[in-house]
Amino acid sequence: MTKAIIFILTIVFIWGCTKEIDIEIPGYKEQIVIDGSIETGMPPIVLISKSKDIFSPTNLDAFLNGFVSGATVIISNGFISDTLDEICSDNLPPGTEEIAANLLGIPVSELATNKLCAYTSFNSDIWGEVGKTYQLTVQFDGKEYQATTEIKPTTALDDLYWKPEDNLTNYGFSWAKLSDPAGQYDAYRWQVKRINTGLDGQPIDPIFTPTFNPVFDDDFFDGLTFDFFYENPMVWNDPNVPDEYKGFYALGDTVVVKLSKMDRTTFEFLEKKYNQIYSAGNPFSTPINIPTNFSNGALGIWAGYSPWYDTLICQP
Amino acid sequence: MKFIFVFFFLSLFVLSGQSQSNQTLSGYVSDAKTGETVIGAKITINELKLGTTTNNYGFYSLTAKKGSYTITFSAAGKESLTKSIEFTKDTTISVELSAQTTQLGEVTINGKQGDNVNSAKIGQIELEVEKIKTLPAFMGEVDVIKTIQLLPGVSSVSEGGQGFYVRGGGPDQNLVLLDEGVVYNAAHLFGFFSVFNVDAVKSVNLIKGGIPANFGGRLSSVLEVNMNEGNYKKFKVKGGIGAIASRLTIEGPLKKDKGSFIISGRRTYIDLIMKAAIPDSSPFAGSGYYFYDMNLKLNYRLSEKDRIFLSGYYGKDLFFFRSKEDDFGVDMPWGNGIAALRWNHLFSNKLFMNLTSTFSDYQFSFGSKQDEFSISLMSGVRDVGAKVDFSYFPSTRHKLKWGLDYIYHTFNPSSVSAETEDVVFDTGEAQKLYSHETAAYILDEFDLNEKIKINAGLRYSAFAHVGPFTRYIKGDISTPDTSNSYNKGDLIKFYNGLEPRISGRWLLSDNSSIKAGYTYNYQYVHLTSLSAVSLPTDIWYPTTDKAKPQKGWQGSVGYFHNFMNNTYEASVEIYYKGMKNLIEFKEGALPGDNLNDNTDNLLVFGDGWAYGIEFFFKKALGDFTGWVGYTWSKTERKFPDLNNGDVFPAKYDRRHDLTVVGSYKLNDRWTFGASFIYATGNTLTLPTSWYVQEQALLFNYGARNSTRLAPYHRLDLSATLYDKGYKTKTDPGTGEEIKVPKRVRSNWSFSVYNVYNRANPFFVYVDNDGDFLNGDFKISVKQVTLFPIIPSVTWNFEF
Repeated sequence: MTKAIIFILTIVFIWGCTKEIDIEIPGYKEQIVIDGSIETGMPPIVLISKSKDIFSPTNLDAFLNGFVSGATVIISNGFISDTLDEICSDNLPPGTEEIAANLLGIPVSELATNKLCAYTSFNSDIWGEVGKTYQLTVQFDGKEYQATTEIKPTTALDDLYWKPEDNLTNYGFSWAKLSDPAGQYDAYRWQVKRINTGLDGQPIDPIFTPTFNPVFDDDFFDGLTFDFFYENPMVWNDPNVPDEYKGFYALGDTVVVKLSKMDRTTFEFLEKKYNQIYSAGNPFSTPINIPTNFSNGALGIWAGYSPWYDTLICQP
Repeated sequence: MKFIFVFFFLSLFVLSGQSQSNQTLSGYVSDAKTGETVIGAKITINELKLGTTTNNYGFYSLTAKKGSYTITFSAAGKESLTKSIEFTKDTTISVELSAQTTQLGEVTINGKQGDNVNSAKIGQIELEVEKIKTLPAFMGEVDVIKTIQLLPGVSSVSEGGQGFYVRGGGPDQNLVLLDEGVVYNAAHLFGFFSVFNVDAVKSVNLIKGGIPANFGGRLSSVLEVNMNEGNYKKFKVKGGIGAIASRLTIEGPLKKDKGSFIISGRRTYIDLIMKAAIPDSSPFAGSGYYFYDMNLKLNYRLSEKDRIFLSGYYGKDLFFFRSKEDDFGVDMPWGNGIAALRWNHLFSNKLFMNLTSTFSDYQFSFGSKQDEFSISLMSGVRDVGAKVDFSYFPSTRHKLKWGLDYIYHTFNPSSVSAETEDVVFDTGEAQKLYSHETAAYILDEFDLNEKIKINAGLRYSAFAHVGPFTRYIKGDISTPDTSNSYNKGDLIKFYNGLEPRISGRWLLSDNSSIKAGYTYNYQYVHLTSLSAVSLPTDIWYPTTDKAKPQKGWQGSVGYFHNFMNNTYEASVEIYYKGMKNLIEFKEGALPGDNLNDNTDNLLVFGDGWAYGIEFFFKKALGDFTGWVGYTWSKTERKFPDLNNGDVFPAKYDRRHDLTVVGSYKLNDRWTFGASFIYATGNTLTLPTSWYVQEQALLFNYGARNSTRLAPYHRLDLSATLYDKGYKTKTDPGTGEEIKVPKRVRSNWSFSVYNVYNRANPFFVYVDNDGDFLNGDFKISVKQVTLFPIIPSVTWNFEF
């Protein structure tokens, strides 16, 4: 149905004419946004910010000023709990600048001039473990927000391969074979990055990027084994890649695939998130407010992931 | 069961008991030129100042005391006919009325003068089809639904929204009937055109207030469209060639004055235009859209007492999109099929029966294929039904009607299949839902005295949701999902209720009256819509064990006044409507399939109400005719699971709605038309704030429907140029010039849509563009407008 709607939308956009208008949108209220995640073998990372009025300035300063410091953040796995450390961008441990910049999506040069704080733990006893449930508690401005997530067991791919498209011998999608475990709920997220080195000797993709429609659950294929493909999301905005090759991996690319499992709540958050992103401006969909697993009116998600990594060398 | 017993008892009583003191005059009124029966013709006993009107089949029955009377037969656009009769025994008089003018489609005198004040109908408007043809038409396609939307209390959601909205009710709350068959989707091309081809339409009747008890199943209105029967006397061809569509109608006698047929077809050629515009080398070659529809009607008079009618409609819209580059293709067809077989029988000159069997089908499907992956989706509803209606005319001041109605519904809310080259994905079995809907009614229209006329009725309706069916009960973290399965024919849930209806007229003087009406309705089928705009993707869903029937009541009171010998008609009506068990999708619902789930698990239920005041001023007679309508209204909803349980405006809540419609006959050749509409903007939900998660910009939406679009207004103009209608010849005998009527008649219809090129909002959306890091990131609100000024021309012909 969504595809049908998107199709109709395409026709309407082709047909109609569009102009920017002034309109009053009443009802803004500021809310806390908590963006937290924990992966197998990794420390929890939590970013806290505030939502902005739809017509507020949207420059980099406004974005950076939205982050919150001074919150108390506590994680518990049912056995032990730990208060997370606040690490701010103007006082980062040496060697972590690149990681922090990638996490925040800003240039390294902006780190020192802005105080952007994240919350994490150096206590490896509380780091992510498969099968454990983690509760996060955030206290800020006299209010407390809580959420719980579980790290699900990993599922490995049976196969990962590259296949050139018809008429394009040097370009193709990444293909995979997946055997979904039968009789249980499984939800997946597909992220990729190319690790071929660029002219600067660094991997060309610094961070993992989600593909188009990167999350899926096994409603349709519980217990089945099947092949599927994903596109290369990194080249859509790359001016050096001609249009006819966009979406493909090139012969010789080395791609790391990160296939993460997650619980149902996290999946529902991500599913609605991507639906909102893809239906932006679509009048034929209901307004999608993305659900949260936090209590007390906070936005965002506390997500547990169990990633499985594989490397694909794009050779026929 | 009690009701059925009473029903049959009543039928037998009426059949056996005939009054001896009065005599009955009955018969049919038909058109002299075509032989078609005339609906709503007025038959008046002048001496008694009593009268009646013909029913949908052109039949009338009048009962009065013995005497000598003059009887006048009149109808819209027809010459009146007066007959003197000695009324000493039951008499049958069938008459043919001649058209008032010889001009194509032109009407100057309304045969329903005084109805505005005199009838007991409240909130009821009959449109003159020939009049509709002189009004401006979008892209030259004359449209019944577009004209209805110019009436007070009726609106469209927006340009391009399909369906119409009556007194704050939803688009599914209108019972749209084509020759008694239910039309589930009355729109082509997202509402830009309706499914009704005016060349095949005989009458249009909209009931937005006091709905009589013979109609049921919807809360807000009844739109009754009757098809032409076809010419009983000779073969005729008529048609039109327009900018984007053409139509052709052929009609004629099956046997002269005994039976007739009409077949009418219409097709757009947008696809051919697109084919010419998109070269074969284009990556989108092969994409396009068109719609077509066909109407067919046969009827035959088996005897003086028996007539049969077979009506059919079939129409389809088809979108197809191809992208060679992506090896991607989409086919999206949808459409209705309707058939009705009817038998009219006169048990006596006072008792008329109509037996109807109907079939109605609406299907939507979507199929796409990309590389090796293909997915298809289907949804639809299919009805098979039968109904019987009896009309009994015991006296001139008294009409009785009763009947039974039954429909077997099969719903397919949404079924999906998906496969790759090797693997067929488990999308579950297509979940169909089956139900029986039935009703029995009785209504009585009578004159309490000279001043007061009452139309009172009672309808009993019942609905049974039956198997096979699987109810999925969604668990939560602590409880697993479970299901209950039902076998074929198992009763899953039964609903029933009484629906009282009453309306009345109190005549204050010869030219003014007060009318009031109360109606209570049950509605067992629902249209669920995900979008801000109504689309063919909307899903029809029945009442189930979980989705309860909608219930609604409406009270209305109006003052009606005619001026200057019925040349001007005016009315003011106020109404209040309450609605229960309305249906919406849950916030953020994404219905895609029925696998291990039921669509109604995604629905939420709530209440609604609407109130308003409508002003209507009409010039009904003369060269200049038209109306001004103004409505002030409010319609709100309250759902415990939406908008935090707070009241919110319906998406089609409109505070002000003004329409001005005019038609001016300059001379025998030129007629001009104009329509203007102004309406408060629709409501919608837009994001009030933004935030960032994993470097993605996300929106948070505010209160439901809290933002209002800019007002909608538009002026359309039209001009129709008729041919002379005759040729001048020299009489070889006398040498004088004589006028010989033309065998082929034609006219040119010119229309300009949106004369002053108003950019009306189709929808608005929040757009974000640019990048934080580049400093060019921007959030803006954008409006999409569909139609600028559009001129069009259509050539219509008839021979």
